[in-house]
Amino acid sequence: MNIIKKIFDSQKKHFLSEGKPNRWYPFYEAMETVFFASDRVTDQAPHTRDHLDVKRYMAIVVLMLLPLLFFGMFNVGYQAFLASGLPYSFFSVFWFGFKKVMPLILVSYAVGFGWEIVFAVVRRHEISEGVFVTAMLFPLTLPPTTPLWQAALGISFGVVIGKEIFGGTGRNFLNPALTGRAFLFFAYPSSMSGDAVWTVLAGNQAAAVDTFSGATPLAVSALTGSGSVEAALSEAGYSVSKLFFGLYPDSIGASSALLCLVGAVLLIFLGIASYRIILGDIIGVLFAGYLLNMVATRASIPFLSLNPFYHLLMGGAAFGIAFMTTDPVSAPHLHESRWMYGFLIGFLTVLIRVFNPAFPEGIMLAILFMNVFAPLLDSIVIRAKLKKRVPNV
Amino acid sequence: MNDEGRPALDCDVLERPSHVAALPERIPFVKPRLLVDTGDRVKIGTPLFADKRNPDFKFLSPGGGTVTEIKFGHRRVIEKIVITLDDEEAVEDFQAVSEQALTTIQRKELLGHLIEGGLWPLIRELPIRDIAAPENVPPMIFVSLDAKEPFQAEPEVYLKDSCDQFAFGLKALKKLAANEAVIISTSGQNAFVLEKLNGLVTHVVEGVYPADDPGVLLYHLRKNPEQNRSWFVNGQDVLLIAHLLQEGKYPVQRTMAVAGGPGGRHQHFKTRLGVPLSHLSPNLETDDSRLIVGGIFRGYASKADSHMGFYETSLTVIPEGNRREFMALFSPGFKKHSYSGAFLSRFNRSALTTDCNRHGGERACIACMQCIDVCPVDILPQMTYKAVLAEEVEEYLENGLLDCVECGLCSYVCPSKIELSGIFKQTRAAYAREQA
Repeated sequence: MNIIKKIFDSQKKHFLSEGKPNRWYPFYEAMETVFFASDRVTDQAPHTRDHLDVKRYMAIVVLMLLPLLFFGMFNVGYQAFLASGLPYSFFSVFWFGFKKVMPLILVSYAVGFGWEIVFAVVRRHEISEGVFVTAMLFPLTLPPTTPLWQAALGISFGVVIGKEIFGGTGRNFLNPALTGRAFLFFAYPSSMSGDAVWTVLAGNQAAAVDTFSGATPLAVSALTGSGSVEAALSEAGYSVSKLFFGLYPDSIGASSALLCLVGAVLLIFLGIASYRIILGDIIGVLFAGYLLNMVATRASIPFLSLNPFYHLLMGGAAFGIAFMTTDPVSAPHLHESRWMYGFLIGFLTVLIRVFNPAFPEGIMLAILFMNVFAPLLDSIVIRAKLKKRVPNV
Repeated sequence: MNDEGRPALDCDVLERPSHVAALPERIPFVKPRLLVDTGDRVKIGTPLFADKRNPDFKFLSPGGGTVTEIKFGHRRVIEKIVITLDDEEAVEDFQAVSEQALTTIQRKELLGHLIEGGLWPLIRELPIRDIAAPENVPPMIFVSLDAKEPFQAEPEVYLKDSCDQFAFGLKALKKLAANEAVIISTSGQNAFVLEKLNGLVTHVVEGVYPADDPGVLLYHLRKNPEQNRSWFVNGQDVLLIAHLLQEGKYPVQRTMAVAGGPGGRHQHFKTRLGVPLSHLSPNLETDDSRLIVGGIFRGYASKADSHMGFYETSLTVIPEGNRREFMALFSPGFKKHSYSGAFLSRFNRSALTTDCNRHGGERACIACMQCIDVCPVDILPQMTYKAVLAEEVEEYLENGLLDCVECGLCSYVCPSKIELSGIFKQTRAAYAREQA
């Protein structure tokens, strides 16, 4: 403790000019408060304050994402070894995935945090911890084959255009991580979609075959021409348990519905995520799924008749529901509108997946779309509330 | 919130202090005009200063003796008027009202007694919480017999031998309200009040702080906008009104709660108005603790050489907490109080210590919704706060800024450490000034 304190005390002078904090002080402050909490006291009533601050709030979300990150590393390696047919051990698989994923994470943090420092320094406020969540979420939504420069570009777009130009964390109306992903999705579709991007190749085969083609569950579902989608999925190797546990090619962190479920439950339990949004999402997905089941006829595509629970297991839905829709800032700011928001995201996700062949995954666009509508939902709810209230003016 | 250092229900009588003081600075909204000068002789009940806005509202001397010091602060605000007490204090006489006379007394006459006797400022008007305007007839008068804010004087202590007096005071209040509508509330857990005053209690409230606040009660009871201008009186102050009317003397005794902090005695004391803080608890002169007069959520920080104000009956001492905690970010927090579920303290049922640290830096609102969950009058604090910042006057009034009871819970729970409550308080005060 004393050693760390000495390091900070010795470095502090570089961030002060004439005893006062200078431009670069926010960086020092952000680093120091990781180890030593602030000693500032209240100057007005209430004299005592809750121990929870934004730093801990965001740190908890990052903590909940770590299991997904580690699973993602393992899965990337596992898929690579599986595709190349090499013999594998747990350690070699994880190490391979680690080598592939870690650079993406590091680039995302370095670039995202860099932008945050620039804006904090220019705007002269403390660094907001939201960027640490964004920089963790963003790479987890990418295919493992994403080039590093694209990751850097995506996180830059997400942090700067998705957030900072509106005033930083708390004032953004779009989810920054998804904004970055959407940018890459539309700017570089060939490295963000299709069948080839989800598996990294290992060993000698990488040189021999350029790409390995493995259709994702969503692609299988969308392309099934006749028969049932469930059958087509299990034929392609996607059993329900496989979809649930997540050992299939997908975005780095998004494949395991199980871990997303665990994360969501823990976040709700800790009071960080809104259970209203998550339940709303799930109800929305299931409702839309059943509705499509009901309208499906023999002539319609088989995707309509898919058991709605598959929608929750496949692709990024579970990840989006647990970690993206629950971003409190870009969600509506009232409890009632959060139910609506969640429901509509779930509903739209299924609609986009089923009816729009250009976008096999719907949750990213559904969330961004509803982010834009969040203030409208709030406005509707507030109006309804005020009607019931006895005025006092 | 379960805090360590709760005052015991024991009540000791403190000896007489050598000097007492009035603190005009601590009476909200009042613009004081001095009526005495240093060196003047005063009796208990001699007017010390009056309110410039309504010169009838006089604030009387809490002691008999000599005015030894009038201390001015910033911009010549009158911080305190110190009176050194004589051994034998002289007392001003006011007209007493017998139990029988009270039944027939006219409202106007009763008003005259209360205003002349210096107790009118105890009766305050919602929603601004300024001194009530005597010409208004309030739709309701609230008397809350509870101490939900940590470490306030418990009704069980101050009512112990004074239930009859309390009933007398209530009779007087009933004369003031329209249709004798005086609402006496207590919590379901307050067995003493329920037993002793069973016939008088009109409402039993459930819930945590600030469920006992008159503003919260009004929010749940009101049927139409006219009822917004209700009045309220603190439980203990009803006894003072009764004392003034029965005895014809300005009452200076108060039951005060002293709590929190290391060492010292955490209990109730029977002492008097304007007593020096150092008289209530020894060893207050430390650098690392804060003396809070009037409760940790609503009170103000004071110094050991200051005195108890006109309205306040509690002194809470808590550590400043101005130190850098190592690895606080990663601590599981078994002993850290928090509204959220993000600390292990949610499983900890024992009393926790609290301090004045802000526990975090200021950030933009991240819509965590905790302020909405804790607001007792549903004003959607984060929305109202944004409307205040944008100066959308109509919007924040519609949202119910005037219903705000300034309980401070929104500021307490905010993880972004936004001074919601403080901003509301300022805005409400500015609104009140504009209306005046």
